[in-house]
Amino acid sequence: MTARHEVLCSIGLPTGDAVDVVRRRFQGGSGPRVAVVAGIRGDTPEGVRVAHQVASFLAGVHDQLAGTVDVYPCVNPLAAHRGARHWPFFDQDLNRRFPGRPNGHAPDHVAWALVQDLAGIDQLIEVRGAHPAFSEVPQAQVRATDSRAAELARHGNVQVVWTRHPGPAAPSTLAWQFPETIVLEGGTGNRLSTGVGRNLAHGVLNMLAELEVLTNELLPFHWAGMTRPPAVGDTEVHRVRSGAGGLFLPEVGVWDELEPSTLLGTVVDPITGACVERIVSPSTGRVMAVREQPVIFPGTMVARVVEAALG
Amino acid sequence: MAEVFRLDAPYRGSYRLERLSFGSGPARVAVVAGLHGNELNGVHALNLVARTLRVARLNGTVHLLPMVNTFGLEHGTKRWPFGDRDINQAFPGDPDGSPVARIAHALLAATDAEVCLDIHSGSAVLRELSQVRVPLSGREVELGRSMDLPVVWRRHGDLLEATGLVGAWRQSGRSALHIVGGRGATLDLGSARTMANGIFRLLHHLGVLSVQPDAGKTVVDTTKARVSYHYSSVGGFWVPEVRVGDRVAPGHLLGSVTEVVGGDDLETVRAERSGVVVTLRSYPVVHARELLVRVADALP
Repeated sequence: MTARHEVLCSIGLPTGDAVDVVRRRFQGGSGPRVAVVAGIRGDTPEGVRVAHQVASFLAGVHDQLAGTVDVYPCVNPLAAHRGARHWPFFDQDLNRRFPGRPNGHAPDHVAWALVQDLAGIDQLIEVRGAHPAFSEVPQAQVRATDSRAAELARHGNVQVVWTRHPGPAAPSTLAWQFPETIVLEGGTGNRLSTGVGRNLAHGVLNMLAELEVLTNELLPFHWAGMTRPPAVGDTEVHRVRSGAGGLFLPEVGVWDELEPSTLLGTVVDPITGACVERIVSPSTGRVMAVREQPVIFPGTMVARVVEAALG
Repeated sequence: MAEVFRLDAPYRGSYRLERLSFGSGPARVAVVAGLHGNELNGVHALNLVARTLRVARLNGTVHLLPMVNTFGLEHGTKRWPFGDRDINQAFPGDPDGSPVARIAHALLAATDAEVCLDIHSGSAVLRELSQVRVPLSGREVELGRSMDLPVVWRRHGDLLEATGLVGAWRQSGRSALHIVGGRGATLDLGSARTMANGIFRLLHHLGVLSVQPDAGKTVVDTTKARVSYHYSSVGGFWVPEVRVGDRVAPGHLLGSVTEVVGGDDLETVRAERSGVVVTLRSYPVVHARELLVRVADALP
């Protein structure tokens, strides 16, 4: 029964300094091994906050755990240091470098080291924030084929579980390397959002209880307070794109209820302020994500709408 | 010059994809440069090619698209600067998709030719001897060799991903060559002229251009098995002792990684084989495990 702070790998810098990628291990019994990974991109402080909140709780109960929880609070510390998305200097998106290379440059080496360290994991939970241009409702994303993960994710205290078919970039992501990975996301890009971090941290702990790594009695909240989210597929998630370029001025917030004609926002000419497009919801549903960085081109996604009979 | 695609842009004039077309009849060759906004050698190479094609008699049509990522060029960025997206990962594109997906779709449609070339510079930290990268076998090897560029590099299918332009061309049945020369974020006049002359030789080989171009000379025709990769084992300040194109023998000093402050040697890098320096790091700040030099076997 241990709580250890370990260096996954140390990245030497040209000046002779070094930066460490850290793993915090909370080990109790011989039950499942679960990993919580955050900070793959440096502009996702919400995920880092969640990882620290989970670790802080586990530090107090590690001797009562039935399994092992490895928390990687920030895999891309140099990017987080400057609040940038990519690994600095190389300008590489770490979540496009997996499974990495042992003899590659720093981002490739870290990706490789992380994948090696996660070998044999029973459940991987990756915690992100939103893309910097968007606000996202707290959500879980799993691969469409991962039915066990989809069921577990419904205990993640999110508003919706999105079972996705992989896009072309999926094979180079961390989540792709480990079947049944659950990705938690929510809040506003490169910011901390009130309540979101706590809700996602509670969701991680609730899933640990569901995996029987924790007992319900240890949870710092009552399980009945957790959400009961629906699971939706790609056909129920609509990416709404602008037809015109300009400034997108949203009229809705995340998780607002929508009718087919509900105004999502307007696009205005950035010089005259004249409205050039009104963008309405394509269906009944709710706002999963809405663009908050207003400068857009024709074809820029301004909202994601989930079509479902939602409570 | 014809506009083949336009995308409205806030605060400024529209994004426009421009194409220069020469000759008449079937589209034989399409050449693209500037997919990455900070890779400028291909832009100059195509403008040199255009000067000649304006006054040449051609058998068939040649399309030149010297600068795809014009907004990246203006911002000094490799990627499309709005949302930081790599256009070269957006193929085959989508006419109703994101801005880069629309550009990719339009570019694929505007380059519907028998033979297609995508011209790049090296990265912003590496200088490359002008080279054509082709698959291990097939018609593209013959076409690549016809350019008589300094390096013909036959490679496995690492450029065949359908999300990249070369892969998308090949998937649609077009012969596609990937050309790289010089360094990013700079204008390397020698590389630009070399690549332009290689394009003339390809056009002549295909019978599109009847005038005999200047001769070129291939010094390396290789696969990865005959290339030595030299990486830094420590971070520091890289001081090269060779230039791209230099011939070296085993033990030849290629450069040193030194302390940033003080300059003491941390590592010296020496050639492992006889050959030609085809890639050289030209930006001095280096991290551990970064590529410094590639040396390839020379042709006899």
